[in-house]
Amino acid sequence: MRVVLAEDSVLLREGLVRLLGEAGTEVVAAVADGPSLVRSVVEHRPDVAVVDVRMPPTHTDEGLRAAVEARRAVPSTAVLVLSQYVEVAYADELLADGAGGVGYLLKDRVAQVDQFLTALDDVVAGGTVLDPQVVAQLFARRRRDDPVRSLSPREREVLGLIAEGHSNAAIARELVVTQGAVEKHTQHIFAKLGLSQDEDQHRRVMATLAYLRS
Amino acid sequence: MTTTTAELPVRAGLPVARETRRGWWHQLGIDTGYVLVAFPLSLLAFVLVVTGAAVGLGLLVVWIGLPVAVGTLAVARGFATAERAWLPAVLRRPVTRPVYRLPEPGAGRLRRLSGPMREPQYWMDALHAVLRLFVAAPAFVVAVVWWAVTLAGLSSVTWDWSIPYDETGRPDNHTLPEVIGLADTATNRVLLYTAVGLLFALTLPVVVRGCALAQAQLGRGLLTSRAATQAEIGRLSEGRDAAVAAEAVALRRLERDIHDGPQQRLVRLSMDLHRARRMVDSDPDGARATLDEAATQTRETLEELRALSRGIAPPVLADRGLAAALAALAARSPVPVELAVALPPGQRLTPAVENSAYFLVSEALANVAKHSEATGSRVTVVCEDDRLRVVVEDDGRGGAVLAPGHGLAGLTDRLRAVDGVLTVDSPRGGPTRLIGELPCR
Repeated sequence: MRVVLAEDSVLLREGLVRLLGEAGTEVVAAVADGPSLVRSVVEHRPDVAVVDVRMPPTHTDEGLRAAVEARRAVPSTAVLVLSQYVEVAYADELLADGAGGVGYLLKDRVAQVDQFLTALDDVVAGGTVLDPQVVAQLFARRRRDDPVRSLSPREREVLGLIAEGHSNAAIARELVVTQGAVEKHTQHIFAKLGLSQDEDQHRRVMATLAYLRS
Repeated sequence: MTTTTAELPVRAGLPVARETRRGWWHQLGIDTGYVLVAFPLSLLAFVLVVTGAAVGLGLLVVWIGLPVAVGTLAVARGFATAERAWLPAVLRRPVTRPVYRLPEPGAGRLRRLSGPMREPQYWMDALHAVLRLFVAAPAFVVAVVWWAVTLAGLSSVTWDWSIPYDETGRPDNHTLPEVIGLADTATNRVLLYTAVGLLFALTLPVVVRGCALAQAQLGRGLLTSRAATQAEIGRLSEGRDAAVAAEAVALRRLERDIHDGPQQRLVRLSMDLHRARRMVDSDPDGARATLDEAATQTRETLEELRALSRGIAPPVLADRGLAAALAALAARSPVPVELAVALPPGQRLTPAVENSAYFLVSEALANVAKHSEATGSRVTVVCEDDRLRVVVEDDGRGGAVLAPGHGLAGLTDRLRAVDGVLTVDSPRGGPTRLIGELPCR
């Protein structure tokens, strides 16, 4: 897997380069600001761009805008955005094109190396990975009369994991139940929310997110 | 810990508003001119305004009165403007000039015409035009009498001979020496008149000054005090806005410092720790090296947090006051600092002023270290006339500006919030001087 990394903090850039190197990925470029990110993506055609949201010169949402722009320039590029804070508004912008292959995680998750690498693989495979905190925020903004409130606690847990981008198999592992049990939960959930039960995992995540973001 | 306290030569070149000291002779000229001109002017103003007001307000019912009344107010404003032009010279201090509100654009003709009727200052001008005569007339009389007696008395030796003191047929015509029981001789007359003239001459400046001041104070009260109050309110609300802005900037900066510093370091630390754990079995040496790095990282994070919290509110400032905190600041500066704090030992300023002064020096020294390429700097703190003067100088390359959004602009806000002023003198090529003036209470 070939990675372009954009992170303005030297400390974290080095750390990430080492971590990704040890995990067997190839970091083809490590840059420190938005415009360089776009240039590197166009030049190197990486599988994935790992991007910090806040970068110079304005230290606001440079990275996010550069990532969106890079994807417009090279649509096949997967993007994994890392940030000290996760905001639903940023997630919305990232998911706006509905093409998949995007991820949005808290920087702290990088330390859980295995999970971070799994997330990278997921976005490269065209999946969507959202930080549990984003999903929690999505849940928090539901209205009182929302069908989501009619879900059982277990079903809400499963829905959250789907929204984060996990496959049925991964959810089964996470909750220590059989895959059959997870499938039964998802059928219930989708029926309650009035969504069509889609076999394709990516489309299922998209439908869930579209529902939660509505 | 010691602070160098030294008697410093305060250098010139600072604009300090001082009352201009004129010779009494000059002042006497101004006061006399003022009182003499004021009487005819006030008489004219009184006649015009009283007549105009009576006609205008009386005919307001049939509309024709409105333009007359407004015209009268405009005349009153004209006289008031002339009076305000005199006031600084007489009062020996600048006065605030009111701003007459213009009718808002797009207002109807009637609204525009009657605008002055709704502006309180116009009415105060008219009131002044009426009241002033009752001060100006007596003042004029007193001043003219005093001048006349002074001039006549002092010059009596030159004209006494020309007066016909022939008493035949006028038995009750008495000269002043006769009245007080002296012989009516030319010498006595001249001596007595000269003495009286001298007496009046000596009291002349005080008396004329009193006449002029009585009038000028009436003018100040009616013509400028409202504007001064409004200016003060404006200044205060500006100060409040500055305080709010400064706080917002400080909070954003704090967030960024935390984000760019300790937060990043801790993320990296947790990355390294996880990497080390993964390496323990496969690559023990690599794991050990990574753990060593992590230990260093922890130490640096703590350093950073310490520096950060010290930057927010240094404990030593709260415990020991400005001098001690500045000494600590100077000791930590990478560029050598010559510190001279002349504050009475043991005297504490208000926390807001202490904080702002500390912040000014800390920002200035940070800028010196970052941008100036200076080899040395000098921090001076003096308290005089209830103003705390904080001067930070360096021998660097200059070019510091007060542009909005620039760090120095934040400082300006911060000082304005505590009623202070920041002046930056930083020509290209240096040297740079930052001068903060704060209230010293």
